[in-house]
Amino acid sequence: MEEALSNSNQTAPSPSFLANLPSRGLFSSTVLSSNLDGTRDYLCVHDTSPPANQLIKTNQQNILIRSLTLGKQKGDPITKDAKGVAAADKKRAAERGLDSRAPSKRASSQSTSRQDGSNSRAPEKDFYSLTVDRLRVLLKEKGLSPKGKKDELIARLKSVNDQV
Amino acid sequence: MSVWNYVVTAHKPTNVTHSCVGNFTAPQELNLIVAKCTRIEIHLLTPQGLQPMLDVPIYGRIATLELFRSHGEAQDFLFIATERYKFCVLQWDAETSELITRAMGDVSDRIGRPTDNGQIGIIDPDCRLIGLHLYDGLFKVIPFDNKGQLKEAFNIRLEELQVLDIKFLYGCSKPTIVVLYQDNKDARHVKTYEVALKDKDFVEGPWTQNNLDNGADLLIPVPPPLCGVLIIGEETIVYCSANAFKAIPIRPSITKAYGRVDADGSRYLLGDHAGLLHLLVITHEKEKVTGLKIELLGETSIASTISYLDNAVVYIGSSYGDSQLIKLNLQPDAKGSYVEVLERYVNLGPIVDFCIFDLERQGQGQVVTCSGAYKDGSLRIVRNGIGINEQASVELQGIKGMWSLRSSTDDPFDTFLVVSFISETRILAMNLEDELEETEIEGFCSQAQTLFCHDAIYNQLVQVTSSSVRLVSSTTREMRYEWNAPQGYSLNVATANATQVLLATGGGHLVYLEIGDGTLTEVKHAQLEYEISCLDINPIGDNPNYSQLAAVGMWTDISVRIFSLPDLNLITKENLGGEIIPRSVLLCAFEGISYLLCALGDGHLLNFLLNMSTGELTDRKKVSLGTQPITLRTFSSKNTTHVFAASDRPTVIYSSNKKLLYSNVNLKEVSHMCPFNSAAFPDSLAIAKEGELTIGTIDDIQKLHIRSIPLGEHARRICHQEQSRTFAICSLKNQSNAEESEMHFIRLLDDQTFDFISTYPLDTFEYGCSILSCSFSDDTNVYYCVGTAYVLPEENEPTKGRILVFIVEDGKLQLIVEKETKGAVYSLNAFNGKLLAAINQKIQLYKWMLRDDGTRELQSECGHHGHILALYVQTRGDFIVVGDLMKSFSLLIYKHEEGAIEERARDYNANWMSAVEILDDDIYLGAENNFNLFTVRKNSEGATDEERGRLEVVGEYHLGEFVNRFRHGSLVMRLPDSDVGQIPTVIFGTVNGVIGVIASLPHEQYVFLEKLQTNLRRVIKGVGGLNHEQWRSFNNEKKTVDAKNFLDGDLIESFLDLNRIRMDEISKAMSVSVEELCKRVEELTRLH
Repeated sequence: MEEALSNSNQTAPSPSFLANLPSRGLFSSTVLSSNLDGTRDYLCVHDTSPPANQLIKTNQQNILIRSLTLGKQKGDPITKDAKGVAAADKKRAAERGLDSRAPSKRASSQSTSRQDGSNSRAPEKDFYSLTVDRLRVLLKEKGLSPKGKKDELIARLKSVNDQV
Repeated sequence: MSVWNYVVTAHKPTNVTHSCVGNFTAPQELNLIVAKCTRIEIHLLTPQGLQPMLDVPIYGRIATLELFRSHGEAQDFLFIATERYKFCVLQWDAETSELITRAMGDVSDRIGRPTDNGQIGIIDPDCRLIGLHLYDGLFKVIPFDNKGQLKEAFNIRLEELQVLDIKFLYGCSKPTIVVLYQDNKDARHVKTYEVALKDKDFVEGPWTQNNLDNGADLLIPVPPPLCGVLIIGEETIVYCSANAFKAIPIRPSITKAYGRVDADGSRYLLGDHAGLLHLLVITHEKEKVTGLKIELLGETSIASTISYLDNAVVYIGSSYGDSQLIKLNLQPDAKGSYVEVLERYVNLGPIVDFCIFDLERQGQGQVVTCSGAYKDGSLRIVRNGIGINEQASVELQGIKGMWSLRSSTDDPFDTFLVVSFISETRILAMNLEDELEETEIEGFCSQAQTLFCHDAIYNQLVQVTSSSVRLVSSTTREMRYEWNAPQGYSLNVATANATQVLLATGGGHLVYLEIGDGTLTEVKHAQLEYEISCLDINPIGDNPNYSQLAAVGMWTDISVRIFSLPDLNLITKENLGGEIIPRSVLLCAFEGISYLLCALGDGHLLNFLLNMSTGELTDRKKVSLGTQPITLRTFSSKNTTHVFAASDRPTVIYSSNKKLLYSNVNLKEVSHMCPFNSAAFPDSLAIAKEGELTIGTIDDIQKLHIRSIPLGEHARRICHQEQSRTFAICSLKNQSNAEESEMHFIRLLDDQTFDFISTYPLDTFEYGCSILSCSFSDDTNVYYCVGTAYVLPEENEPTKGRILVFIVEDGKLQLIVEKETKGAVYSLNAFNGKLLAAINQKIQLYKWMLRDDGTRELQSECGHHGHILALYVQTRGDFIVVGDLMKSFSLLIYKHEEGAIEERARDYNANWMSAVEILDDDIYLGAENNFNLFTVRKNSEGATDEERGRLEVVGEYHLGEFVNRFRHGSLVMRLPDSDVGQIPTVIFGTVNGVIGVIASLPHEQYVFLEKLQTNLRRVIKGVGGLNHEQWRSFNNEKKTVDAKNFLDGDLIESFLDLNRIRMDEISKAMSVSVEELCKRVEELTRLH
């Protein structure tokens, strides 16, 4: 940053980063003057109650019960997913306060499921969360060299992914 | 004071917390909307600059402010959520110029722990829902239907408990939030969730990012086409999206605010904790992000909000310094800064401490605040008065008198300004270029001092010098007649009006002349027993050109006399008493009431009611306006008469509701004043100050005038010492080069120039906590006492501190005594000639002892334990009122015989105090950290010890402001004869920069105003449907109860802004006439 400043002092080429600032023609006068004395104190004498249906309240139903009833509404053949979510919810609720590691556990189980499901949708930067061993396995799967530092491995994987 | 209190704002909040830009008032108009905690300001962007439109009070502390565009709408709506869990959506109705409530609601939950990091309120960019994070572990959703109407809100459980920021992502088919949170190992991560509106639950989002910068605190969602999010840390900035990850290191800084520059989100302004402004650039090739760049632009106030306006102009809202309007220049200036400050908007917040000093002893205080924080710290001198807007000024030494003259009798404007000096008279006039230029009136005597000038009938001018009276034609400017003083006599004092001249010569001769067409006729002569000091024949009767009375002030017997004209018969003689001669008399009429004003040589002013027919003087009142002789002149402003009293404390005297009122003029010494209503400077005054002649207009109302003294460091405590004419402050300076190197100082400032004249540096880790100017028994010296604390990083509470006693000698702080304490000295009070200190959980009394060797020491006498932290202490007589960190009030008493301090009573509520003050013997006022005010009463008549030991809560009120200090005093002149003078007041200063007044009213007045307040609530509605009664109800974690024994002066005084129909409505409901209501409310407005 200092460098940029000192450079511009020497040669003064207009730095590009402040070029083309958006303008709609406001503040175009050479002398800007705002007269703050012109402020009017707002005095509200009209009815300010909202339209009839726009007085918003919060649904008072317990979150857990709500998710259960929502599941039920979907009909008897509860989809596996929904069941899973509901169950997870229940589990989360039960575990809250007891097991603070629950989130990390969940995260790890997710990542394993992703590995199993060979889901290539996994975003690139997720590679960073994988271990080097795991990266090497992935590289081998794609027929690439499993050698080098983690960054290199990731770069290699990414280049393949980009091509895909 | 009393339990019936009236709370009113004298200076509105100026701390800018939020700002946003959008098309709010019309589809083609661009607005800047600024939130100042309990108010919003709407500005219009114009080619000429910012134009303020409205200042809107909000019945709540604004937690979030967002503009959004609902489906199918041509202009933006404003979403506001308050800290007390109310929200509203406002729409501007251009036809009626009103803010319409589109929706509102209560978003509080019965259970839930309020978030530590403040409330978050965000709106989906595609306007599908409003998201609120108000309680840990819950995310509230207010969905929009497809017509843009809001639907019932619901909560979703959010797994992350320590949330730092949540934003909506752009360009997602389902509404998606990105959550920045901290886990229980203090690592920070980002996670995304899709909001499934149908299932009312979260679905795992498209990506996550773990283990970010440990200082990551801010998310910036990037709009399409790039999308994704910027994560701003203290050492790195990361760009993250489903398919890209870019990071750059930055110089360590805490980013406080950001503003988007381009609609496509490729450039952002970042403001950090040190006030440095950076530009963050996302470089990209088409829609692919290739990297980040950051450039330092320059320095601004420490920003709390940044809004890019237009054409390189940016609004910087600040909580710690003045808000600014800046321009980003393409080329850096000599210092390498791209930032040019165009305007500054005064911000007093945070007022950490203040003191009131009243040098003139008029009961009007000047408030000096410790304002701002860190590098933007400053002192602000706040003073109430009438301002003069200077329009022109010239250097002129030795002015002895000034008068304005017209060029013809029926000219509406003044042409000439006659300026008299000790041996000459000069005439100034407006030339064709509207410049003031020296000219000549040939008929005038210019080689002598002019005693008096006036316009006369028949297009004539009168000039009185010590030898003659000249009558000059105002058209030809030639002399038409000269009346010479009798041989051996010189004219000493003179006055005139359009048809009359009254002269006094040596030896007590009074000569009365009448003006004819080209002639002066000596009508009457009278010989008085003493010399005459001043005269006046200002016509206040039915004939505007002719006075039937003359007022005469006398030497020797110190009297003022009323003579009839033309026969010069003595009607009334009033002895003034004392030895000070009257220097200026004036007959004047305000609101149809005639007065005689008589100014003395010592700055006192007497006023009498004058009976025009009998000449009788009644109802004598005396006020002190200054210390120097006063010269009185009338002038008119907005078609009403005012009197200007020129002296070392220039004052304007006017009348309202048939009472005389006095307002300071915001000028230093003024020797002469005359109205000068020229075509170029209409309604102006010519004012002679020290060596200068100024022409300016005068404000029609008095208001607060604020002067800033930038310190470049953060002042935390302030105290004034009259004897040494100094201020002492405790301040801290952040060293910019090294990390965490704060230096604390005690500094001495001159109370006129505000220059640092002496500095005492404190030790490393030592903080100045309290400061006091006091004297001790058996010692005539006045000292500054300073209490300090050693704040060591490893300690939770300080265990060591010092009391330092300084004396000011030759403008230097000399340390006299140093006493170590076992904790932080949070408060110091002068107490019965001793020093009372609050040290951690203890109250300790120190005696001032003389050692054998002549040196002094502080010797511990007694103490009292039993507080959590005794933070705020006030004393009255032998009583000590302690405000505790969390145990509300306790009342202690010092027993002289036993030399002990005992607890008398306490308030058993758990209030976390922020300031305390003693209103009277029995009533104590407190402010606490939930922005409430309350009063407690000592119950000395209780039947049992238990009852007597309990401080009864008698008043409760939600102020909505965090009060840091109360002080007794007044912002307006409180002259003993005015009604306002009878109402005792306390001034408070708050974090938002509010200066407010709490006035104790008589019970009858309180009851009346309470009724008025109830009626006003029915007429004046809360913006967005927010309720006034709820807003003012005392509220903390444990309880919410209606306000009692406090009135909202801001609401009551807005009665005067109502239109006549509404006023009539209220008048009918109260069965009191509108005039009476206006009168009573106007009286209250004079409290501040």
